[in-house]
Amino acid sequence: MEFAIISTLNGVTYGLLLFMVSAGLTLIFGMMGVLNFAHASFYMLGAYVAYAVSSVLGFWGGLAVAPVVVGIVGMLIERFLLPRVHAHGHAHELLLTFGLALIIQELIKLFFGDFPVSYQMPGALRFSAFTIFGSDYPFYRLFIGGVAVVMFALLWLLLTRTRTGIVVRAAERLPAMAEALGHNIPVVFMAVFGTGAALAGLAGAVAGAFYPTNPNMGLELGVIVFVVVVVGGLGSLKGSLVASLLIGLFSSFAVGLDWSLASLFGLVGLGDWARAIGGLMTLKLSSISATIPFALMLLVLLVRPAGLMGERN
Amino acid sequence: MKRLLLLAAASATALGVTAAKAEPLKIGIIESLSGAQTSTGRLYANAVEYGVNQINKAGGFNGEPVQVTEYDNAGGAPEAADKFRQAVADGVDIIFQGASSAIAGQLTEDVRKHNIRNPDSKVLFINLGGEAMELTGEKCQFYHFRFTTTAPMRVNALVNAMKAAGDLGTKVYSINQNYSWGQDMQKAVEDAADKGGYKIVGQVLHDVNKIQDFAPFVARIKAANPDTVFTGNWSNDLLLLMKATGDAGLDVTFATAFLDQPGNIANAGKTALGDYIANNYDNSATDGKFAEAYKSATGHYPVFVEGNSALALAQLQQALKTLDFRGGKIDVTKIALALEDSTYDSPVGPISVRKADHQTIRPVVVSKVVKNPKYPADGTDMGFQTVKIVPGDQAIYPVQSSCHMKRPKE
Repeated sequence: MEFAIISTLNGVTYGLLLFMVSAGLTLIFGMMGVLNFAHASFYMLGAYVAYAVSSVLGFWGGLAVAPVVVGIVGMLIERFLLPRVHAHGHAHELLLTFGLALIIQELIKLFFGDFPVSYQMPGALRFSAFTIFGSDYPFYRLFIGGVAVVMFALLWLLLTRTRTGIVVRAAERLPAMAEALGHNIPVVFMAVFGTGAALAGLAGAVAGAFYPTNPNMGLELGVIVFVVVVVGGLGSLKGSLVASLLIGLFSSFAVGLDWSLASLFGLVGLGDWARAIGGLMTLKLSSISATIPFALMLLVLLVRPAGLMGERN
Repeated sequence: MKRLLLLAAASATALGVTAAKAEPLKIGIIESLSGAQTSTGRLYANAVEYGVNQINKAGGFNGEPVQVTEYDNAGGAPEAADKFRQAVADGVDIIFQGASSAIAGQLTEDVRKHNIRNPDSKVLFINLGGEAMELTGEKCQFYHFRFTTTAPMRVNALVNAMKAAGDLGTKVYSINQNYSWGQDMQKAVEDAADKGGYKIVGQVLHDVNKIQDFAPFVARIKAANPDTVFTGNWSNDLLLLMKATGDAGLDVTFATAFLDQPGNIANAGKTALGDYIANNYDNSATDGKFAEAYKSATGHYPVFVEGNSALALAQLQQALKTLDFRGGKIDVTKIALALEDSTYDSPVGPISVRKADHQTIRPVVVSKVVKNPKYPADGTDMGFQTVKIVPGDQAIYPVQSSCHMKRPKE
């Protein structure tokens, strides 16, 4: 019971962090059809901007400025770089953003050095929310989760309940028609891309103070965020949320379980035989917990190629 | 046109002059200078350059300053193999690498094959940080020298010093990365159990630098209720593990191998206090002369792997002093033989090379994180204080039976 409760808590908060980063990516893909490889770099950029700003304006100042700066960077990229390759299709956009990711990473190293920087949460947030089975549960984890939930709610309301949302969705569905009705489509797309980037920037600013802020944080999260978006269904916000939570929970539970193929064979009395074989048979689930999201992705792609909540097109 | 002719004439003369000069010793640093492992690779390169400068200040070698070139392997073994070919084309005599065991494995094989095919232009590989046991086991060869510790050396020293200080306890947990280094560490912790008088209450291997959230692992550690947690984790895997432990309010002592990586102490904060590290070198273990000299040359005290890497160069310098090629061709085999015979009195104790597998017999420094140390880390008020220096002959482990070294004919 203790294991289940703690694992669920950890899994949900980690899942919400994943959602926070992948929300922007989903938005950009869903609305514009651009697979943005540099998305995790925006996340890293957000953390570093927040770190730099927080030394002047304090933690909350950093939290406010980071999304704005990253959003502007995103808009500049959308305005000046993407249109140049847009005509050549998805592959070129992918290559462009991939190159950007590498450039941003090396630039960060140039300015901030190779080592993790000491970006810390303020002392006022550094306390344990509650104590569960003898170990403290840091409040900041709940804070990360809370920010993610608020982000989801706002995005959802914005897209489905406001005029802006209608325009954005129209621009995605029938750009020519929306343009004929007097809406400035390039500006809409620029704003969407900027918002997506800003969300990643905010996620970086929030999470960077909890996980270390270092030049590799984009690389480490980048792949997993793509897995989230693919599992959830490209472009589906709800799908991303579900996929993030699933991946968070799966990874969290897998760590605590020392299951292996050998123990499975043990159920039918072949345990010793399987253990004697070794290799794959004795590979423990906990030692491959970070691989589980990829296995999940494989499974989802096999069963539902469009993702859990993606629309078939 | 006239200008061009003049230029051609000038370069021809220049070339002629170089040919008449002695052959310089060429050193190549094939290191992770971009990509995820830059933070480590850069430090190795810094230290090698510092060491080469020292050699050159003392007059160089073979009548010429030693030349050093950096090659960026971008953190991958295939790129390293590529850069090795380039280094060979540039006429490099000795290559250095430290940031990765996987790359060290690639390079030592490349060097071995190259030396078989090109007996007249051999290359020596000095491994500054690849700690995988196989490098002095199945892959051991005459032209590879390991100037760092290995997992059993670190673990034995930790157990030895922590037990003496009464900080070891009787229940030990081992958490390591699931590849050669982490597996070596786990095995070393198992092997030292009897001698250390502890029981292993749990052990786990996890993916390398893929895990963002260590809270589930901390929950496991907590459930096992250990006194000490042994971990060979480095970089993010160590930092996230320690942060998660601190956030959960879990009170354990960490016994680590790479806690001195820059940024770790600042990020881990108070959680790090009382934790241990076993490594090749620490400023607080010495009289400070080397540290000051390094600082006056580079602007900072040696951190992380810089210390032991610079000392490896000093040992090479000492070995080179016994050789004299009279400005002629440089014989790498002779350098290797001289290195085998050298014993260097480093600031932490004597370092010598074991001829059977080219592992250095070296002291292991065990330090503890304390408040207000002599050399604070990361601009905090915390840093390392050396508890014990385990001498080389006590720290060393037997030669692995898998090592069959083919020596050159003398």
